[in-house]
Parts: sequence; structure tokens; C-alpha cells
Amino acid sequence: MATASVAASLPFCLLLSPRLFRGRRAVRWPRPIRASASSNASDVAGGERKLGALESRVGDLRALVASVPPAVASIQKSISPNFVAGFCVGIAFLAAAARQVIIRSRDHDNRGSVADLVRRGQLKSGQRGTAKLRTYDDPFNNSLVKIDEGTSTAQMFGKEYRLAPVRLTKEQQEMHQKRRSRAYQWKRPTVFLREGDSLPPDVDPDTVRWIPANHPFAAASSEVDEETAKQNVYQKDGVPSRVKAEHEALQARLEASNAVTKLPSDPRSMQHNERPMRSSGKPSENLQSSKFDNQGRQVSIESGKHSSDGSSQSNGPEGQ
Amino acid sequence: MAFTPPRLLPLPLPPAAAPASTRAVSARHHGGRTAPELSGPTPRVVVVTSGKGGVGKTTTTANLAASLARLGLPAVAVDADAGLRNLDLLLGLENRVHLTAADVLAGDCRLDQALVRHRALQDLHLLCLSKPRSKLPLAFGSKTLTWVADALRRSPNTPAFILIDCPAGVDAGFVTAIAPAEEAVLVTTPDITALRDADRVAGLLECDGIKDIKIIVNRVRPDLVKGEDMMSALDVQEMLGLPLLGVVPEDAEVIRSTNRGVPLVLNDPPTPAGLALDQATWRLVERDVMTAVMVEEQERPKKKGGFFSFFG
Ligand SMILES: Nc1ncnc2c1ncn2[C@@H]1O[C@H](COP(=O)(O)OP(=O)(O)OP(=O)(O)O)[C@@H](O)[C@H]1O
Ligand SMILES: [Mg+2]
Repeated sequence: MATASVAASLPFCLLLSPRLFRGRRAVRWPRPIRASASSNASDVAGGERKLGALESRVGDLRALVASVPPAVASIQKSISPNFVAGFCVGIAFLAAAARQVIIRSRDHDNRGSVADLVRRGQLKSGQRGTAKLRTYDDPFNNSLVKIDEGTSTAQMFGKEYRLAPVRLTKEQQEMHQKRRSRAYQWKRPTVFLREGDSLPPDVDPDTVRWIPANHPFAAASSEVDEETAKQNVYQKDGVPSRVKAEHEALQARLEASNAVTKLPSDPRSMQHNERPMRSSGKPSENLQSSKFDNQGRQVSIESGKHSSDGSSQSNGPEGQ
Repeated sequence: MAFTPPRLLPLPLPPAAAPASTRAVSARHHGGRTAPELSGPTPRVVVVTSGKGGVGKTTTTANLAASLARLGLPAVAVDADAGLRNLDLLLGLENRVHLTAADVLAGDCRLDQALVRHRALQDLHLLCLSKPRSKLPLAFGSKTLTWVADALRRSPNTPAFILIDCPAGVDAGFVTAIAPAEEAVLVTTPDITALRDADRVAGLLECDGIKDIKIIVNRVRPDLVKGEDMMSALDVQEMLGLPLLGVVPEDAEVIRSTNRGVPLVLNDPPTPAGLALDQATWRLVERDVMTAVMVEEQERPKKKGGFFSFFG
């Protein structure tokens, strides 16, 4: 009964306002059907509420039809029943055609390709492939993501998905944890030693991880001891320790050869020119070396690179 | 594609019985939130690991970091893959990495100088452990990142997140990467080999005291899941017994974004995998987990009944 009246009202809906109709259909229409198919009592109640709402809307429509100017009514009286039937069939036909058009355009929309999204104005075009930042969208609620909590469905990029609830319980989680703790008994090694090296006297063999010689961590030996390395990491400002040490060593050597005046000794300027200092230091350090040219050039190239990245990298969080 | 809403309730509840989380859902879905709420003290040190290689650790790290930075949450992405580093490539920073943690240890530069700032995302920094052919000092290898995390914690501009891209396997690189971490993101693909490794890694992490482990199931193909040719994210979860942080579909755009050096989450227009990683970022920030998974493509009722089908 209600369904029949809805069906009867459809053509009018279409004629009056296709957009309105489309919106209503998308939002309201499937629900009464779902509700009536459901055995759940509360759902049925909700469905009845919605049916009631529908009927009241149908009532509105009837009132609308009734309020059509009396001229129309008089025309209706003067025409034959045959014509009325034909008119109704015609309207129904038009309605069906319009519906097909709507469905097709919606299907088209729902293909979800980027071009479609652009065409619908949901996305800006022409920015693909650029590093320009996308204006921020809630990733759970935007033009591409629609989640219908009521029906446990979700629309994503124009496709529909069913939502399946996560079944994992806390107990299951703990069970898995217990299983794993039995299966994998492990203690994180804290000392790395190269395979073949001897165990230092103060090291617990249980904490050692033996590393093959070709591993990226297997450096021959480190030039700094642990405490220095740690301090290097923690150093917040000033000249990095090795650079400073090198500079001091160089200065000592220069002092010994009475050439102190050639280099600035102000620590402030040193701070700003740490890399150039190093590059200017290295070649002279190697003055006596027979491979002076080769090594000197290598070093200065290296240092040049360092000085440039020093500036590009130094704008880190603490670097400004 | 297996996306889910954040705290979606499995079944609709009547409004009267709705707990606080339902309000959060409606706030998020109808209130148009623009950012997640950061949970817990910072910096949060998160290791992205997997055991098996090539399942998407680096992709995940780059995208989580970029997404965090775009949300205004300062992130330091650490490439702990000393041998085969490629996080710099994914972030498009490969030409700017000259100083690494190895240089910091040696005293050649300070830590802040070794951080490479992303040009477009001011809140994103990259730190590489070492240069591909240089070697990291062995003696304190496993302590390096602990010091780094600690130094960042003490620095005046503490980042909100330190994301560590762990190398494959469970050897020294893994040990180094997990050492400073308090949380782990376990990336896996829905296949049995990746799962076995993931389970092992989860076990080692738990032995090490990292109990906050969440999984990201990567490269899911909903069409295969539907045809039961592929495990679903829920199957994966059942086997590992760990909460889900995200489910990322297989997406050809991943490779394109790698080639462009722009993380997928920055793609405009968004892509399915990028959106999924964005969602995972929000959950990470809020210490949230998935409560429902989109497992299967809904059959769209395709009526071929012609013009009058709507009467039927
Ligand atoms: N969701 C996805 N869709 C399609 N391709 C993907 C996806 N995720 C990752 N890939 C591809 O898989 C490959 C490996 O990814 P990635 O480098 O992130 O893995 P990984 O775990 O870091 O590897 P490794 O163990 O070597 O460090 C890359 O080529 C990447 O483009
Ligand atoms: Mg990687």
C-alpha cells in the first residue's frame, strides 16, 4: 500500500524536481526496504517511522496536486478517460527514461577514475605529479570517502565496500603474546663484534652479536671511543669535536713552524667556517706527502661538498 | 580495498546507548575535524619493521612521516637501513644527504647538521645512519640510535615523532633500529611468508619490551580477497593477534610516487593507498586502532530490467 503510493508519487517527484528526487532517493529510499526486510524489532520500528515520514511526504505531494489551480481541474473534467490513461502512461514512460538517465550518470560518476573526480569538481585538476601540498582533508570524511555507519557499508573512490568488524579480543591478543614469548626467547644484543675477533674481557658473551666482516656495520675499528661518540651525538652547538681537534692539532703544528699568523685563531670565526677551515687545513697537513696533488684535490673536493651541504643540512631543528 | 573508518562501531547502536566513542565518530564524520589529537609524551619513537624484505617498510615510513609533518607534527625519519638505504629516495632527498649519523659519531658534524630538512614540508627531517659504502662504527652500533633519540628528546625543538625505517631481517641492523623504540609498526603483506617473519619479529620485539605493536597490512587486493585467493586483513590479524593500524591496498601510484620522490600521501588528487596511509597516520597519532575493515567489494545491484525496472 505504502509502496504503491510511493510508486505513484514518483513521476510527480521527477517532474517537480529531479534533483530533489535524486537526493531523496539516494538517502531515504533504500531504508524502508531494508527495514521491512529486517526481523529486528527496533529496525522495524525505525522503518515504520520512516514509512510514516514517507507517507506524510506523499501527503504533502497530494496536497500540492490538490492545490493546482482550478483551471487544471476543469481541463481534467473535460477530457476523456482514454486521454487520462494515455497521459499517465506517457508520464510513466518519461519517468522511466529520466530514471535511466540518472542511473547512467550515477554509474558514470561511480567509476571513480581521477578524470571523473576532476569532472565532478571534487578534485582540482592539473596538479598531478607536482610536489605542491594537497590542502588538508579529513581522511575519514571527505569527497572520496563516505562511511555509512547505519548499513555497515562504505564508499571509497566510488566503490562500495562491506564493513566487517574486527574480531580480535584482548584475551586473544594476550594468548598470541604468550605463544610468542614461548616460541621466541630472545635478548637484544648490546655489543657488536666482528666474527673472528676475540671477546674483550669485560663483555658478557650473551650480549654479543657477531657480525660477518662484509656487514655494513663491520668497520675496521672506530677512531673514537664510546664516550666521545656519545658526546658527539649529544653536542648541541659549537664546533664538532673532530673538526675542533683537527684544527687544534693544525694550529699547534703551525705554531711550531711559526706560521700562526696565517690562520685566524678566533673561535667564533672558526665556528662559522668550520668546513673551509678543515679544507684549508688538510692540504697543508699533507704537505710532506708525496701524494699531495691527488690527495689534496680529493680532500678539497670532499670538503667543498661538505661545506655546501653543511649549509643546506644545518637548517635542522636546532640549526636556525 | 580495505579501508576503515577510525572507531566505527560494528553495529549501529541506538543513540541512547551510544558510548563516548560514538560521539567521537560523529564528531569526526560530521564535525569535519582537521587534525588528530596527539596522544602520549613526545617524542614518540616508532620503529617500522617487518622481518621480510620488500613488503613496504620504507614506503610506510616515508608516508607516515610526510603525513605527520603535513599535520604540523614534526617528524624525524631515520633510515636505519645502513646497507640498502632508500628512504632518501622516497622522500626526494637523495641529493641532499651528505652528512650521516656516522659523521656525527665521528665528530665530523653535529646531529642537527646531519638532519636533512624537506623543502616543502618544514616539519619533516631525514637522518641517514651511514653512507652506502661507508661503514658504521661497530663497537657502539646498537647504541647509536638510542643516543640519537635521546639527543633529539633533549634538543630545544623536540620532534613529535621519530620514525625508524628498519632494515629487513633480524640481524645487527634490526637490533640497532629497534633499540630506542617504544612502539612498533609491523608491516606485512597478506601472504604466509611475510606473516611468519612478522610473527617472529613481533616475538623479538615483545622480548625486548616493546609491547605496543600494531600491524599495517600492505598490498591488499580486494578483488583477490573477495575471490578468496588472498588472505584478508582480518585473517592476517587473526594469525598475528595484533591490533590493526591500517590496511593499504595495492596501488600502482606507489611506484610512481617512489619515482617522483614525493610520498604518496602528498598526491593531489589522493590515491587509495595514500588515503589509507593517511588514515593510518591519524590512528598512530591518536593511538587508535581499526575496529572494522572493508573486506569485500559490494555487489552493486545491476538491474538489466529496462525502463520499467523501478516498478519492480
Ligand atoms: N601498496 C603498494 N602497492 C604497490 N606497490 C607497493 C606497495 N607498497 C610497496 N610497494 C612496492 O614494493 C616495493 C618495496 O617497497 P619498500 O621499499 O617500501 O619495501 P621495504 O620493506 O622497505 O623493502 P626493504 O626490505 O628492501 O627495505 C617498492 O617497489 C614499492 O614500490
Ligand atoms: Mg626499505
